[in-house]
Amino acid sequence: MRPKSNRSLLFVEKHYLLLLAPLLIFVAAIAIYPLFFSFYISFFKYRLTDPNQTRTFLGIAHYILAIHDKTVITAIRNTLVFVAGTVVIELLLGLGLALLFAGEGRWMRALRSWLIIPMALPSLVVGLVWKSLYNVDFGVIPYYFKQFGITMGRGPLGEIKWAMPSVILIDIWQWTPLVMIIFLAGLKSLPHDPYEAARVDGANRWQSFWHITLPLLKPSILIVLLLRTMQGFKVFDIIYATTSGGPGTATTVLNFHIYTVGMVFFKMGYAAALANILLIIVAALAILYIIVLERQQI
Amino acid sequence: MKQRNYLVMLLIISILFVGLLAACNAPASPTTQPPKGEAPAAQPTEKPPAAPKPAEKPFAGTELTLASMTDQYVTAFKYLIPKFEEETGIKVTLDELGYVDLYQKLTADFVAHTGNYDLMTMDIVWSGEYAQNKYTLPLDDLMARDKDQLQMDDIMPVAWTLGEWDGKHWAYPLAGYANVLNYRKDVLSEAGLEPPKTQEQLHEYAKKLTKPDEDFYGIALLGAKGPAVAQDYMVWVQQYGSSILDADGNVAINTPKNVEILKAFGDLFQYAPPGATDYWWDQRETAFRSGKVAMMEGWSIARAGYENPEISSVVGKVAIALAPVAEGVEPKYGFGGWGIGINADSKNAEAAWEFIKWLSSPEIQKEWIRHDGAPIRRSTLEDPDLNQEYPWFPILLEAFDKGDGDYRPRIPQYSIIQDALGTTVNAYLVGEMGAQEALDQAQAQVEETMK
Repeated sequence: MRPKSNRSLLFVEKHYLLLLAPLLIFVAAIAIYPLFFSFYISFFKYRLTDPNQTRTFLGIAHYILAIHDKTVITAIRNTLVFVAGTVVIELLLGLGLALLFAGEGRWMRALRSWLIIPMALPSLVVGLVWKSLYNVDFGVIPYYFKQFGITMGRGPLGEIKWAMPSVILIDIWQWTPLVMIIFLAGLKSLPHDPYEAARVDGANRWQSFWHITLPLLKPSILIVLLLRTMQGFKVFDIIYATTSGGPGTATTVLNFHIYTVGMVFFKMGYAAALANILLIIVAALAILYIIVLERQQI
Repeated sequence: MKQRNYLVMLLIISILFVGLLAACNAPASPTTQPPKGEAPAAQPTEKPPAAPKPAEKPFAGTELTLASMTDQYVTAFKYLIPKFEEETGIKVTLDELGYVDLYQKLTADFVAHTGNYDLMTMDIVWSGEYAQNKYTLPLDDLMARDKDQLQMDDIMPVAWTLGEWDGKHWAYPLAGYANVLNYRKDVLSEAGLEPPKTQEQLHEYAKKLTKPDEDFYGIALLGAKGPAVAQDYMVWVQQYGSSILDADGNVAINTPKNVEILKAFGDLFQYAPPGATDYWWDQRETAFRSGKVAMMEGWSIARAGYENPEISSVVGKVAIALAPVAEGVEPKYGFGGWGIGINADSKNAEAAWEFIKWLSSPEIQKEWIRHDGAPIRRSTLEDPDLNQEYPWFPILLEAFDKGDGDYRPRIPQYSIIQDALGTTVNAYLVGEMGAQEALDQAQAQVEETMK
């Protein structure tokens, strides 16, 4: 009896491997190899445009340089502000919208599909459209503010203290619908029994939201946090299209700085080192999220 | 339970890694990308010519690809290429690209030696970089061989800076731009002013003409972070008789003189539209064309567009003058524009050279001008017919004669200087840094990055 089941298990396993092979090869070539290559190249001084393609070994010099690089420190700070701003507001707003549009009426469905449109647009286009909306001399937004007697100085993207909130607003406009959809899916899959029990026990709507809905939505919250944090750290296209990291360095996020080092200066080694630092920050945050949320569940 | 949690965590982290890679490894991608262009580039040589070659069409059937910046002159390319194809039997495919895309696509093509593009428009400031890395073919041998057909004496001396580096020619002059002052005739004469001759007058007039209540301003400037503000600041450095490099060619950004110039440049922004610290070239153009400002310094190639009612609401109200320099500074005028180079990896260099020769010939140059091209030849600028159509050509001729093609250092590390200035000058304009601090930081950043 035993040998037989072992053999069939082996057969099944082999089968799995065979079926997985194309995907594994693909992932190895597209993801694993570049990852290791970027770790490898970060230890070298390597200018992409060098005609001789010389690579000089530097050890961890690039990582030490990064810690002392003023622009990198500013960029990391800006990135954290961007991530905190977008993730918190999108989470709250997305949850609110999901609760608002959880109904199943005809209008609800129509409205929901309208709300999803921003998500379907390429970020670069969204950035360019918002840039022209924000333009203080020709744009629509400052024009209406002016009608109400509010002048916007150098404009939302031109003032140091307003540039980051303005960029965050673009991200919120575009990505809150995604958060809403995730929460909608979470809400739809909630069991009915606890609510009925709560009603019998005399809980009001707020109490059942706070004590039933929210705890049960924890997996959805985790997904939203992970997804939006990752994407927030990766933000590039909106910044590229609107401010190029300006004014000054007010919206220079880490990924934009990596782009400058890699694709303007072509210093591949340093760019790879910075990209790896970004990766480490995000991975550390992700683990933290998971630990905190999982622990609460138990 | 614990083990399950561990597995979930592992799964999420691995998804996270894969997801992040797309962003993190973007800089490395050109090296890992397969050389995508090899097949198409090899095609033309293998392909038999469609028709038997007539003796006068030695390159009939050859296919060239031209990468062009989407500047005004792209209209002229579109008009002239069919003529060239008819005359020579060479087929030219035009690929229009924006400034940043062009630079990056060309770099990828050069670094991977794919030879996708046979011909490319090359910004004057790329000269040093292209020469150092030998991206384009030095044209000197071809020029020496065909010197009888080229009439090179007729090309304005300053136009050679569009591609000359270290005594060799890495691109041939294509389109020369001079920095000129555009001004509103109606506005200035109403205020009883002549166009400013000096920077001091420019300041004074800009101040006088600014009326924020009427949403009208003295001058439009480039203030946006990046190449825009860096290049406009360098124009002012030149106009005050200073420079970015010292006499020995070393980077000397934070000199006391340059700090003074930065303050003067910053002062002008009081008389510019409030959004000017965020202006890129197109917004500056919009400000001038929509009649929001009285004066604007800019490239001469845009001049003809102000008379086009489809894109301009100031038709007939604009004139140009030589760009004002500071008092006591010997007049020199910023010169820029584009050269046209041949890819060092091109398999059709001879046919590509044929295109350059044809395009730069005096007869074709007239057509080139009439379809939004820009001049490189003295004979074009002095041509009576063209002077009739473009009455501002004498000013251009003088600006070209005293042109300075090196006010933006054309050294291989130009992009580093531009990026550093692009950040710190903008930071000064919006009040994030002081003038001295801004230039000190730019200097330090350039020195650090050049290592």
